[in-house]
Amino acid sequence: MDEASLIAAAQQGKVDAFNELVLVYQQQVYNLAYRILGDPAAAADATQEAFISAFQSIARFRGGSFKSYLMRIVSNGCYDELRRRKRRPATSFEDFGEVDEEANPALVNGGERPEEYAERQEVARVIQAGIEMLSPHQRITLVLSDVQGLSYQEIAEATDVSLGTVKSRLARARGKLRDYLREHGELLPAQYRLE
Amino acid sequence: MRLFTRHAREQEWRDELLSAYLDDQLGEEERARLEAQLAADAALQAELEALRHTVALVRDLPAVPVPRNFILPQTMTAQPRPRRPFRARRSAERSRRSPYGRVWAAPLLTAATAAVSLLFVAVLTGDLLLSGGLAYAPAAERQAEAPRLALEPSPSGRGEAEVEEVIPNATSIPTETPPPLATQAPVEMPPAGAAPTATLLSMPTEAPPRAAPEATAGEENREVATPVVEATMSAAALGRGEGEVTPTPNAVPPVVEEDLAAPTPGEAAEIAPPVVEEEGEWGASEGERTGPTLIWVTPWRMLEITLGLTALGLALATVWAWRARR
Repeated sequence: MDEASLIAAAQQGKVDAFNELVLVYQQQVYNLAYRILGDPAAAADATQEAFISAFQSIARFRGGSFKSYLMRIVSNGCYDELRRRKRRPATSFEDFGEVDEEANPALVNGGERPEEYAERQEVARVIQAGIEMLSPHQRITLVLSDVQGLSYQEIAEATDVSLGTVKSRLARARGKLRDYLREHGELLPAQYRLE
Repeated sequence: MRLFTRHAREQEWRDELLSAYLDDQLGEEERARLEAQLAADAALQAELEALRHTVALVRDLPAVPVPRNFILPQTMTAQPRPRRPFRARRSAERSRRSPYGRVWAAPLLTAATAAVSLLFVAVLTGDLLLSGGLAYAPAAERQAEAPRLALEPSPSGRGEAEVEEVIPNATSIPTETPPPLATQAPVEMPPAGAAPTATLLSMPTEAPPRAAPEATAGEENREVATPVVEATMSAAALGRGEGEVTPTPNAVPPVVEEDLAAPTPGEAAEIAPPVVEEEGEWGASEGERTGPTLIWVTPWRMLEITLGLTALGLALATVWAWRARR
């Protein structure tokens, strides 16, 4: 069954068909949520809620990119979550820590030496901390663009803003992140540092 | 500080250009111009490389494995929830920041704020100038009159100023007249000419709306009959209470027309009548006094307040719109 048929079946209320779509997209959806929110538990909640919401409103999905449709729902959910946290910052990010990827052998690249792997994890940690310095809009735009690889047009649709706004948010996000990496260069392994 | 913000703005603008360049989102012309600049400017080239490096680091972030499957239970119904979260949210989002609204809102709001603020300042200035002009012109005339009438300067002067301030839009004649009368009354009381009063007596009743300033004149006149101190008090009270009804000095017994009207040259005579007419009905005259002033004053003030508040609201909206663009 191709994606269009799965969507059509899901629109008829077939949960099985929709679950096949879930299996296809859950990695991307979860990663988007994880990079925006910065913690695994909240990302998992956001992902689950996004799929529920996507299924419940799928009758109104009228063609176009299903991926964009999902990205839009997740982005909205993450945005709400960030706003909620801003209103009442209950848990600090330090409480969550990183996903323990080392415990997952599937993550370790076949030929990668342990120190290389550790280095990559260290870089990812610094970048993630930098992303969390950004405003919600900037975070979402940056992650959609540079983590998920969406085009400006797709981001504009997913976040309901103009292309110009996407452009300027993305530039600000990248600029801030660059400044952050400059200031925290010492946290990065030598070959990853800026200038 | 301004240097700093300008520098920050330039930096933002440059980042926007470089960021779009990295994504190949610049127009042909813009790209050619930037490439020429890059070739000539090593610092700009370094900025571009730093940005490119940053983007590359983000793109190389390792994918995080899903902690579990997110498949939905079979019991999940396809029926959308009554609230229709997705659509409802979408439309809410759209209304909050429509693609075009977002771009144009901030500059538009800025322009609107500037326009309304200017209008506000203009109206305020106009109001001040107008009320000032009304106050000064008659004052000059009065000064010219003063010697002729041989008045007591202090109470009348104060009374005039205040009355006029309060009623900027009233015609100049009524405002002008009362004070001289008041002052003049004591001086010329003895003569008490009967003839002019009689003729003028009818006037006020005919033209009640204009009674406001004239009524005040009347009060003063009456008080003048009593010690001068009271006259000054009443003048002050008048100025202050013009918006609302001030407790009028009831202590003063309604004086007979004769004393007041008696005087004087033409203008004085004009003023006299209201006084006379008034003593019969204190309450009525007070009501009239408040009436016209309210009508004249509030539209100006209302306009000023409305404009001021609008300017303030627009300014806040503008700040919000610019911040939302980020």
